[in-house]
Amino acid sequence: MNSTYIAALELAAGAVLVSAVMTLWRRSVRSIVSMLSLQGMALSVVAIVLALHEHEGALFVTGCLVFVVKGLVVPGLLRRVSRLDPRSRESRPLVNVPASLVFAAVLIVLSYVVSSRITGLSPSDATHLVPVGIATVLVGYFMLVTRRRAVSKIVGLILVDNGIALVTFLLTSGVPLIVELGSSLDVLLVVVVLQFLMVSMRHHSDTDRLTEMKGLRD
Amino acid sequence: MNLFLAALGFCAVGAVCAATLTRRVRVPVSASLATIGCLLAVGVALQVLITGDSSTFHTAQLLPMTGLSLTLDPLGALFILASSFVGAAACVYCVGYARGAMASRTAMTMLMIFVLTLLAVPAASSVMSFMFCWELMALSSLLLILTDQSHSREARGAALWYGVLTQLGAASILIGLLLMTSTSSGQTFADLSAHSLSLSPSTRSFAFVLVLLGFASKAGAVPFHVWLPKAHPEAPSPASALMSSSMVAMGVYGIIRVGADLLHGGTVWWWVAVALLGVVSALYGALHATTSTDLKRLLAYSTIDILGLVLIGVGAAGALNDSGLPSVAHLAMMAALLLVVAHAAFKGALFLAAGAVERATGTRNLDELGGLIHTMPSTALVVAISAGSIMAVPTLSGFSSEWLLLQGLLHGFTDASTPALIVMLLGVIALALTGGLTAVAFVKLFGIGFLGQPRSVDAANAVEVPLSMRIAMAWLVIPSLVIGVVPGLFISLLNRAASTGMGATVVSPIDHGTGLVVSQLRGAIQPAALLVGLVGVLALVWLVNQRLAQRHARRVDAWGCGRDLQTPRMQYTATSFAEPLQRVFADVLRPQSDVEVTHVTESRYYEQSIMYENRVGDVLEARGYRPIITAAFRVGVFARRLQNGSIHRYLAFGFVALLVILVVVA
Repeated sequence: MNSTYIAALELAAGAVLVSAVMTLWRRSVRSIVSMLSLQGMALSVVAIVLALHEHEGALFVTGCLVFVVKGLVVPGLLRRVSRLDPRSRESRPLVNVPASLVFAAVLIVLSYVVSSRITGLSPSDATHLVPVGIATVLVGYFMLVTRRRAVSKIVGLILVDNGIALVTFLLTSGVPLIVELGSSLDVLLVVVVLQFLMVSMRHHSDTDRLTEMKGLRD
Repeated sequence: MNLFLAALGFCAVGAVCAATLTRRVRVPVSASLATIGCLLAVGVALQVLITGDSSTFHTAQLLPMTGLSLTLDPLGALFILASSFVGAAACVYCVGYARGAMASRTAMTMLMIFVLTLLAVPAASSVMSFMFCWELMALSSLLLILTDQSHSREARGAALWYGVLTQLGAASILIGLLLMTSTSSGQTFADLSAHSLSLSPSTRSFAFVLVLLGFASKAGAVPFHVWLPKAHPEAPSPASALMSSSMVAMGVYGIIRVGADLLHGGTVWWWVAVALLGVVSALYGALHATTSTDLKRLLAYSTIDILGLVLIGVGAAGALNDSGLPSVAHLAMMAALLLVVAHAAFKGALFLAAGAVERATGTRNLDELGGLIHTMPSTALVVAISAGSIMAVPTLSGFSSEWLLLQGLLHGFTDASTPALIVMLLGVIALALTGGLTAVAFVKLFGIGFLGQPRSVDAANAVEVPLSMRIAMAWLVIPSLVIGVVPGLFISLLNRAASTGMGATVVSPIDHGTGLVVSQLRGAIQPAALLVGLVGVLALVWLVNQRLAQRHARRVDAWGCGRDLQTPRMQYTATSFAEPLQRVFADVLRPQSDVEVTHVTESRYYEQSIMYENRVGDVLEARGYRPIITAAFRVGVFARRLQNGSIHRYLAFGFVALLVILVVVA
């Protein structure tokens, strides 16, 4: 039982990180959004596995909620946006794809180095996976910085949020339901707002490349 | 206390009315409410000064966490008296003056709040209440500076200078006061006073220096004065009258309250520092007043000058008290406080008159005025009396107070300690020199502005201002006359206020009576008798003149010097009048003049036109503040390179910061 639990937890957490790295690799906006959907589902699996192991009903509900919001609703919304321009691709990111992957590896190593203290506080099967969550946060942030398309930036932002959620699940077996509910709704709201913003940007400048916004400074 | 709260209430209701009523009724209703409030406050303040009773009020409702604490004591009451007296005049003046931007909702509301806070600041008796009222006072006056949009560029610059200096000052005061609360059990002034002696001497000195910096900037002491000659001219006249007469006095109030009352006097060098600030300010202000050609700018510089004299008095009082001469110290403090009250009245009147002149002629440049005594006789009379008072003409209030200050400074010579001696020596010199310079400045103001022939069409066509404005100006002349002719009647009121922080001596060094008789120091003066004598001599001269005068008098232009044809261009201008002084003090004033001669093309021997330009800037602004501003600007330009509008770069900053923190923490 215990080894199955560890294996499932490691698999799911690994899937979260792998899908984060995959978003760096893929160029087409559609497949980036699919990776995000995959990650949301993997995250919900982490929560559900933890809930089953520790017999916490609230965490189980949270896991289902995460599945619906981050696995289905948010990617669905983003897919609708990307359908406006089906061939939109992350053609020229600020850091190219191979370099991004190398950098992601560096970030993962860094997160293992820095989180050794946190895992040292209470070593357990779950807390050993904390570096995976921190690595997801860093990879998400990296994506936020280096990708040009607004959709990719939103995806980066959600990756950061997913990474934070993963860390909280692993460290504290989930924050209270109400807090998780609040932050999920926040993300949803951000996505909706950005969706509007993007539609209007497209209306004005025919692109969602944020580089075009430089002119707004003065 | 209840009456005082009612006075504050009237002003507050005035502010609400100003904010809600329609344009037609806004000004009269709110101004009359605030006038009633101010008159009530005058009554309350006089009562406190006469009886010497202190009363306290505390409510937890008005300010969150700490509540609002108010205390009426003689020192505070004296400053409330000065502000409310001028406040009443400013509100009455507003009825006739307010139109256009000044009658707007914002301006009237801010004026009411400004009056309210001027009454509340001297009464506030806890750190939080004081800072709340102080900041409200600064904010409302800041918005008033921005009211007049016709000089919007200058007004914006002035507001920026004022805002920055007053906020730095307020921060400095707040830090100083909080340092003092570190050992006390609470934050009311009573707690601070009771516990301030348990602070270490260095902490006390540090707190005093911080507080002094803040209050000195409000009092316009050089070198923190830069905002004053910019801000006071730009504000609408009722506001500049209040700023120049009452608000700057709050700086003096703060120094006395914190230094003498809460910190119990401290060491002698504190007061030497205060007096030195005063000496520098008095000389610098007087010198610039003589060379200013803008009516209100001249008045603003003379405010720096008079406040400098007040600071000399306060500093001398502290230093003398420290060298064991409490009665002379008491005299110096009384002189300083008398000068505060006298200055509030005559400077208020002068600023209101300047507003009247600006309203009537559309300019405040002295070089475009002249001959206003014929078209605006009432205003001219107000200016004559107030200018006489500021020049310390005997039988007017400036003379009484400056005479008293001189007595305080001179009579300490015999057995004062060395630091006190230096203060007094410098003080006497500054008093003498500024007396002369102020006389030049105000002879210029009256001579160029009101006598002679008009220098512009607008000045020739000036019409006397409405009745309410004249009443307001006349009201402010009363103290000049009363304090000037019978100073003894008023001086007894100052006794308790002046003994703040001086131990138990409330015995006035000045004998009872209408004149000023300091029997301990063998100094005495009877302005009433002087007045009788003066009138007698004038009557005699007139009689003799009548008897000896030729039957057939020849009538020529006034100041025509016998010439038949006299044009306005042949008169002195404000610039030419001050030119000799400007030459003498060129090292301090650093004037810049340009002469540009255009010749007729045919011959180099004939000039077509000559243009002469003369500018006197503020040296301290150019040499002291500009380098700091330039440096800050450079830092700003450099920092701007960091933000180039690229959202990727902003995100990268955050990312790099996160990575650095992670690495550092791990």
